[in-house]
Amino acid sequence: MTDLELELRDLAAHLDIPSARPVAGAVLTRLVRRRRRRRALFVALAAGVTALAVALAVPSSRASLLRFFHLRGAAVTIVDRLPRLGPRGPLGVPVTLDEASFRLLLPDGQRPERVYAGDGGYWLRYRGLLLFEFENGTGPEILKKAAVGTTDVENVEVDGEPGIWIGGRHALYLPGGPARASGHALIWQHGRLTLRLEAAVGRDQALAVARSVR
Amino acid sequence: MHPPGEETLVERARRGDPGAFEALVVSYQSLAFRTAFVITGDASDAEEAAQDAFVKAHRALGRFRSGRPFRPWLLTIVANEARNRRRTRGRRAALALRAADPHAPGEDPETAALASERRERLLAAVERLRDDDREVLACRYFLELSEDETAAALGIARGTVKSRTHRALERLQEELQ
Repeated sequence: MTDLELELRDLAAHLDIPSARPVAGAVLTRLVRRRRRRRALFVALAAGVTALAVALAVPSSRASLLRFFHLRGAAVTIVDRLPRLGPRGPLGVPVTLDEASFRLLLPDGQRPERVYAGDGGYWLRYRGLLLFEFENGTGPEILKKAAVGTTDVENVEVDGEPGIWIGGRHALYLPGGPARASGHALIWQHGRLTLRLEAAVGRDQALAVARSVR
Repeated sequence: MHPPGEETLVERARRGDPGAFEALVVSYQSLAFRTAFVITGDASDAEEAAQDAFVKAHRALGRFRSGRPFRPWLLTIVANEARNRRRTRGRRAALALRAADPHAPGEDPETAALASERRERLLAAVERLRDDDREVLACRYFLELSEDETAAALGIARGTVKSRTHRALERLQEELQ
């Protein structure tokens, strides 16, 4: 290295370059927002496809009705055999309750142990309970589930709003991701939000938790 | 040279793992900011360029070829973003030296003053160079990028980095005489 090159290296050490402000948080927030916008478009398209599928399938027979459960933001179909189920991946980016883009509903008003932004909504982790919340204003099909014929699937009501109880092992699909194994789950609408609760509890206990959110 | 596990992180990020992409952003945010700052000369522009570059890199991950180093690929995007901002502003803010620390140990005040004067003169000469000469020197000596990384950041061939560096050093020497 020549003297001039050495002097340039020395100059670099004395340049007034401000410290980089961390951008990871801002970048991830923008990515989550962007994914939600893309999902809104996907959901709008999927809503049209679903409406067509229901129109074709529902009137044909009672059996078709039993094979399709639906509410705003979610659909459950009954299949003969579950697909191959991958392990559950990370839930998303850790955030605080205050960082959520809408007010998150909390069971019994209790704060969760952890909150993650991911899959177009927010995952709230409690001891023995996992809650997923997202805005359903753009239509159905953000969340998709499949359950084998032996799994107990039924329509329920939570404070006058529709819900679906899935008792037993089933596959959970989130847009863009592989099928994940899931245990008992309750999905229900709450105004413009759709919530999904997963816990090793029975139907009545799950409904009690769902009614306690505020 | 890239940190261990980077290939795994990139693969996981491509499959949609936000934690893996966050780890990549954290690893490279400082380099991205410094690169953008050397090109724009403005901290706000550099921060925005770094942010936009990471968002665009995430979008383009599907086109990233497996097994290739991530760092030069990212630098290309960062440098493009920074140059776009510089073009929008119409000019680049000049780089400056940090204020001397009067309590710095080791040097006597007179030696320190002479060194500082020499650096001021060198920086002024660098600033008088053409953009392409100044940028290649900034990449190689201020950011200490390799020839391959400099080629990626400036969008030129590796051989051009060598010849341009040589030419820029000669012109700098002339400026100093």
